[in-house]
Amino acid sequence: MRTPFANSAIRGTQRTQFYLSVADLFVVSVLMLLWQPGVAAALQRRDSDAGNTLPRSKYLSPVAMQLSPDGRWLYIACEDSDQVLAVDARTQQVTRRLRVGQMPRGIALSPDGNTLYVSNENSDDVTEIDAQTFQTRQTVPVGWGPVGLTTDRSGKILYVANTLGDDISVVNLQTGRELKRLQAGHYPEYVALSRDGSRVYVANLLARIASADEPPVSELTIIDTKSETVAARVNVPGVIQMRHIAELPASAGGYLLIPFMRPKNLNPLVQIQQGWYLTHGMAVIRPAANAADGPGKYHVAEVLLDDIDRYYADGFGVAVTPNGRWALVTASGANVVSVINTAKLRRLLLSQPPARQQELANRLDAASHFVAERLPVGRNPTDIVTSSDGRFAYIADRMDDTVSVVDMETMQVASTIDLGGPKEISRQRSGERLFFDASHCYQGQMACATCHPHEGLSDGLAWSLETPQLGRDVVENRTLFSIDGTSPFKWNGKNPNLQTQDGPRTAMYIFRSQGFSSTEVNDLVTYLLALRLPRNPHLAANGQLTDAQARGREIFFRDKTMDGKLIPPLDRCYTCHSPLTHYTSRVSMDVGTATPDDTIQAFDVPQLEGVATRPPYLHNGEALELEDIWTKFNPDDKHGITSDLNKAQLNDLIEFLKIL
Amino acid sequence: MRHLFWIVGLLIVTAGVAGAQNPSYYIRWVNYTRANGFPPGEVYCVTVDGNRVWAGTGHGLVLLEDGRVKKIFTTKDGLPGMAVMSVAVDKQTGAVWIGTFGGLSRYSGGQFTSYTNLSSGLANDLVYGVAMQGRYVWVATTAGVNRLDPYTGTWEIFNESNAPFEEPWAYGISVGAEKVYFAVWGGGVLSYDLANHYWKPYTDPDGEMELVLYRNQGLIHNIVSSVSWNPDTKTFWASTYFGLSSYDGRNWHNYLKKDSGLPSNFINAVQSRGDEVWACTQKGLSELNTKTNTWVTYRPDAKSGRGDILVSRADGSKHQMDSATTLAHNYILNLDFQGDDIWVATANGLSHGMRQTAKQSLPTQRDKPAPNGDREK
Repeated sequence: MRTPFANSAIRGTQRTQFYLSVADLFVVSVLMLLWQPGVAAALQRRDSDAGNTLPRSKYLSPVAMQLSPDGRWLYIACEDSDQVLAVDARTQQVTRRLRVGQMPRGIALSPDGNTLYVSNENSDDVTEIDAQTFQTRQTVPVGWGPVGLTTDRSGKILYVANTLGDDISVVNLQTGRELKRLQAGHYPEYVALSRDGSRVYVANLLARIASADEPPVSELTIIDTKSETVAARVNVPGVIQMRHIAELPASAGGYLLIPFMRPKNLNPLVQIQQGWYLTHGMAVIRPAANAADGPGKYHVAEVLLDDIDRYYADGFGVAVTPNGRWALVTASGANVVSVINTAKLRRLLLSQPPARQQELANRLDAASHFVAERLPVGRNPTDIVTSSDGRFAYIADRMDDTVSVVDMETMQVASTIDLGGPKEISRQRSGERLFFDASHCYQGQMACATCHPHEGLSDGLAWSLETPQLGRDVVENRTLFSIDGTSPFKWNGKNPNLQTQDGPRTAMYIFRSQGFSSTEVNDLVTYLLALRLPRNPHLAANGQLTDAQARGREIFFRDKTMDGKLIPPLDRCYTCHSPLTHYTSRVSMDVGTATPDDTIQAFDVPQLEGVATRPPYLHNGEALELEDIWTKFNPDDKHGITSDLNKAQLNDLIEFLKIL
Repeated sequence: MRHLFWIVGLLIVTAGVAGAQNPSYYIRWVNYTRANGFPPGEVYCVTVDGNRVWAGTGHGLVLLEDGRVKKIFTTKDGLPGMAVMSVAVDKQTGAVWIGTFGGLSRYSGGQFTSYTNLSSGLANDLVYGVAMQGRYVWVATTAGVNRLDPYTGTWEIFNESNAPFEEPWAYGISVGAEKVYFAVWGGGVLSYDLANHYWKPYTDPDGEMELVLYRNQGLIHNIVSSVSWNPDTKTFWASTYFGLSSYDGRNWHNYLKKDSGLPSNFINAVQSRGDEVWACTQKGLSELNTKTNTWVTYRPDAKSGRGDILVSRADGSKHQMDSATTLAHNYILNLDFQGDDIWVATANGLSHGMRQTAKQSLPTQRDKPAPNGDREK
């Protein structure tokens, strides 16, 4: 008897029968391959019909800014066009454009204002630019996926947060050479130099990899600039996606302000209808005042910026006015800047007895005490800077290719600077806008980007998506990078395509709203299918495998055990993780990982491309490292035969997986 | 003016002669034991990092700052195992790498990150040695040697399958500019050439016989407990349970109790710098000055509680002294330098030794010839 392919869940008791239909698997994989170009062509035809074929690189997507010390020049890194722009703040005109590396995401200015440093996330380097001539001086190789960067106070040392490397490059700017890398937390993204120059603060986007049934704990990594070493790792409990960092002057309390998202991912998602499921706020951190706490100790408070019935999703940029009176936080999913009266914030914090300070992290009525204004700005506001006289704030509207200029005296958007992006909006761009837009969700609690930060990344959390029962069917978030050709979707494999995944089902079960129109769904799918994994840094640029990677490849594609016995096809790595179809067989398999809390036993086989960058693993995220998959969760060889591998061979297998 | 010149010159010469006549010894000791809040029992390792000292014990990792115990870390703090066997400090990043009997750990910014056999590429959770070589972390385990590249997260394993390990049980690591040396229990010393990526074994030609068969024969024994590369003399020293060996790239030298100042052939660890070689034996701590071929052995006198210092000179003469303070125990496991000071791991606590000239600080010394050389305790 053959297992009906339509019922693609293959239970353990049916493994022998399915053994006979491996040929079917291959045929269907090939058909899928043939089918995918057809779909892509159809989508492309629709694009052509609409006259919207602009490639993504034509858009600018301003994402990081610096203002010259005299306030005259606004320097803007544009991630999609691979450019840095210079805008005359007086005339509000773009005067110069310079092409840099791939995907510039961060920008820093030397203390004397004469040099710009731009991190290029997809080319793993930093472009050094003469701010006067706007010419490139040199390009400095750094770690993997550089984003946030800052110089030290002397301007001799550059610190660069490497997202993919989970570390921080320390660069000698005089020699243009990387001195060392300091281990950060998980996915370090943005950095800031302390006002006194003694510290570099590094905000990590993702929480530490930890047990899926515990609330997340994120890390603020603190570097001592004198020794150029990590001085402290501050736990910020219950939150993820810490972004930009601003430090209030000492006269305003000296707090560090860092926007974050505070998920209740272990509660069933149906609770989103009651609100308070995904909340957005900021960490308020300061060094311990009490000497008894010791150096390197920090007090961490958390406040929400949401209101009870309206959320300000996806906090991103933060800046403070020079006198520290106002702090401004961009809500990149709500297209709003929240203006915070820092004196009131401080009073609120100081009025809370220590035992009640933790409550603030969950109180939706707190923002009304200190948020002075909610200023609507352009689409997807990211970075924000304030002028040295405190008169203006500039906000990068990533999805509009504009900069909103806020007059801090009138507390209104005074003007909008057009950076010169295309006026024509392609389907892909339209989908990208939708991806970042939280207005489609009930009360604006979340956008697609809320759980897929950094444009498609898995947030590393397990979510209770499937049932209203607490603790049941919790599943790990999945990546959106390079998912073209990996259908079906969801861990239960129930969504045959992205249109199903992101259409009415998303509206009904996730957003709890009217959802996207059919046109919007198609636009969103166009965007999602265009998301691609960045270059894999584990693989040499020339494609040459290391010895360990080559040995691991042999293990992955083996059909015999180490003692020469034939491995049944279904127990071979490459059967279920077929390289023909992005290292997934696109069916559900029971690999013995279901727990009593799972309703189903078989789960959609995940693609393996980029697997090294997205721990934890397995459907419920209980494998924190790749090793765990085999050392802890494959006791009966149901997840492929691996018990014959020794430790060195398992290491080799993992080295191969890391290059996919 | 001329007279002043001659007076100053005379003073300098006099001071030099006086210094030569009054050699300095480690006669001032401060001990950290259970009596003053230190974890009880053995201290397995000690590593100096500026004004900080890390001591690995059977009951956790002790951090001392400026001579005071600052913190005792245990598994409750995130250590993967209570028995801490080795500590290495990454001078570049400030991270502290800790080898335990529950895996490897990195301490950085006040947080531990652990690496175990099940959750990482670590060859085995019984970690005896750890050392930094540039950005790489070398780890000695009972199942071979690991090299971790923290930049890429790549773990390499070297054992009998891909390197000349007669036994995979690696104890200690010492890093040179061109090679990394490994002490292997039952396998002698192995070196790894960093530029050419090849391994070379150094073993005892008579296997595990406790004999020196011929001059320049090689390692004294294959059960090697530690190895220390001395960059000043370009020599590696290997401690075994059956004597001490050195190799300078051309010649081997072996040292046994019977023909040296060693108090015992059972040596737990060796450290060498400049002209100094320190042997941590089961019957005291011995220093060999390779320039003068003088041995000085320090150990506590169990009866008096005072320190017993035995000096064995190249001409065969021996002199014995005592000191008011001494090592916490005569069973020595490890040692590290802090400038001119030494920190010593013993079977019953940690000892901090400070060098002083004999006449300055030994008013009660008995500077007399030792009866028939060494005294067994």
